[in-house]
Amino acid sequence: MTELRLMWRNTRMVVLCAISAALYAAVLVPFKVVPLIPGVTELRPANAIPIVCSFLFGPAAAWGSAIGNMIGDFFGGVSPGDLFGFFANLFYGFIPYKIWEIISRGEGPVIRSPWIAVKYFAACLAASVLCADFVGWGDNLLALRPFSLLGNVIIFNNMASAMLLSPFILAAVYPRVRRGRMLYEELMPEIKPAPMPRKTLGLALLVAGEVGAWITGNLLSTGYWTPGFLPAWMAAAPYDKSVAMIVSPFMLLAVVGLCLM
Amino acid sequence: MKTTLYIERDSFVHRLHPTAKVFGLFVVFWSIYWVDNPLALMPLALIVLAIALMMGAWENVYRFRWFFILIIVPTMLTWMLFYRVGKPLITLPPFYVSEASLMFGFGRGLKVGALVLASVLFLSGTKVEELAVGLSRLGLPYRLGFTITLAFRLVPLFMESALTVVDAQRLRGYDFDAGGPFERIRRYVPVVVPVFMGALRKANNMAMALEARGFGRTHRPTSFIEYRMHPRDAAAFAFLLALGAVSFWIYYSGLGAIPTG
Repeated sequence: MTELRLMWRNTRMVVLCAISAALYAAVLVPFKVVPLIPGVTELRPANAIPIVCSFLFGPAAAWGSAIGNMIGDFFGGVSPGDLFGFFANLFYGFIPYKIWEIISRGEGPVIRSPWIAVKYFAACLAASVLCADFVGWGDNLLALRPFSLLGNVIIFNNMASAMLLSPFILAAVYPRVRRGRMLYEELMPEIKPAPMPRKTLGLALLVAGEVGAWITGNLLSTGYWTPGFLPAWMAAAPYDKSVAMIVSPFMLLAVVGLCLM
Repeated sequence: MKTTLYIERDSFVHRLHPTAKVFGLFVVFWSIYWVDNPLALMPLALIVLAIALMMGAWENVYRFRWFFILIIVPTMLTWMLFYRVGKPLITLPPFYVSEASLMFGFGRGLKVGALVLASVLFLSGTKVEELAVGLSRLGLPYRLGFTITLAFRLVPLFMESALTVVDAQRLRGYDFDAGGPFERIRRYVPVVVPVFMGALRKANNMAMALEARGFGRTHRPTSFIEYRMHPRDAAAFAFLLALGAVSFWIYYSGLGAIPTG
């Protein structure tokens, strides 16, 4: 994750970060297509932008995704839960290119074969699940909304845009950006990739953490699972304390995995 | 289309130091967070509404009137699915309708609504530059603050360019509203690609312009606008601290809790 800090020294990366953020917000605000939960979330074509930018601009896209989502929130009002939204979107923009570095074997993210499509799907799904986990976990910790509400809707929302829109945008812009030598690897040659075994361990921890958080978050927040080892006052609705006790370690595991990648 | 909620006025809130405004938002969030009971939350919501009237932000509050209802009702219904506490009043599956679940659901809805109301107020009286100054005084790195400001400035440009592309495509007979939700998402590809490429063309020039102006030479750059603390800011800090303390006392004394009997 050191590149998330290093990129701030590079003026081009700072500009690309602002551009990613502005593009995300510019598509986010006017093009809210279909409300999924009125007042909470809607089907957002803009969610395709962080995925596309991630493959192109790497760490700049991660910060851009976080800032772009913040700008979108500022257009419609913010709440303490948006702090979790900021970091969730940071991960949403950070994970795709990090996973792609591990599983791509040097190929570009433009879908030219079924096998690339599978890998692309996996990278987007991992990003969407951690993003959803983080927002669901945060909102349930604050007892604003149950994990199972946002935790599932966001996965669906992100994946819909990532699968229906991003591949087409990538196919159009990736070759041009590569020809223009504006991919993050070219702009920041100082980024030294971690050794493969370490990155693979990081990926395993990330997947274990986010899947664990998603399963336990859903079970706890719907009341289907009441852990016997927790005192009754902790395991009661709105389940904020049980989510804090059980889901938080999985979230930590996922973040440790990201740090290793 | 407006991309910020800022309203130009000369009210006491507008004249406050940016740090006092950011601190104010934090304290109001804190105060709302500790109170669950809708009856105990009402006075706080009324204070926020009164400030909205005094600072001339009513037009933004009015603009968001349906949004507030859309936030409160689904939040209330969602919690009535999961908050299964107290003796049921009527059987209405899958909702659990008891006095406690009604109070809790309405309290959560009102809480989320009050949080958004407070943020609408904050955004009505705070410029983007002030937000960046306020956050940087609270420890946000300069480059991140600069990027947020730059992204905010770029959003209207990109949005305008996106809307121009939409108009151009409509003139050619392209229907963005045809088909189901997924088809409608896919139809945004011809909008996003030109906007994306147009934005990237600006990136290099922008980076050169920034470096030509000495961007990144120092961590403590001078600013064109200097904000100074005034006695009114000290009064605002005192009021906010008192508000935060009273809210915490309401929580601590149990007056802000919801009876679960």
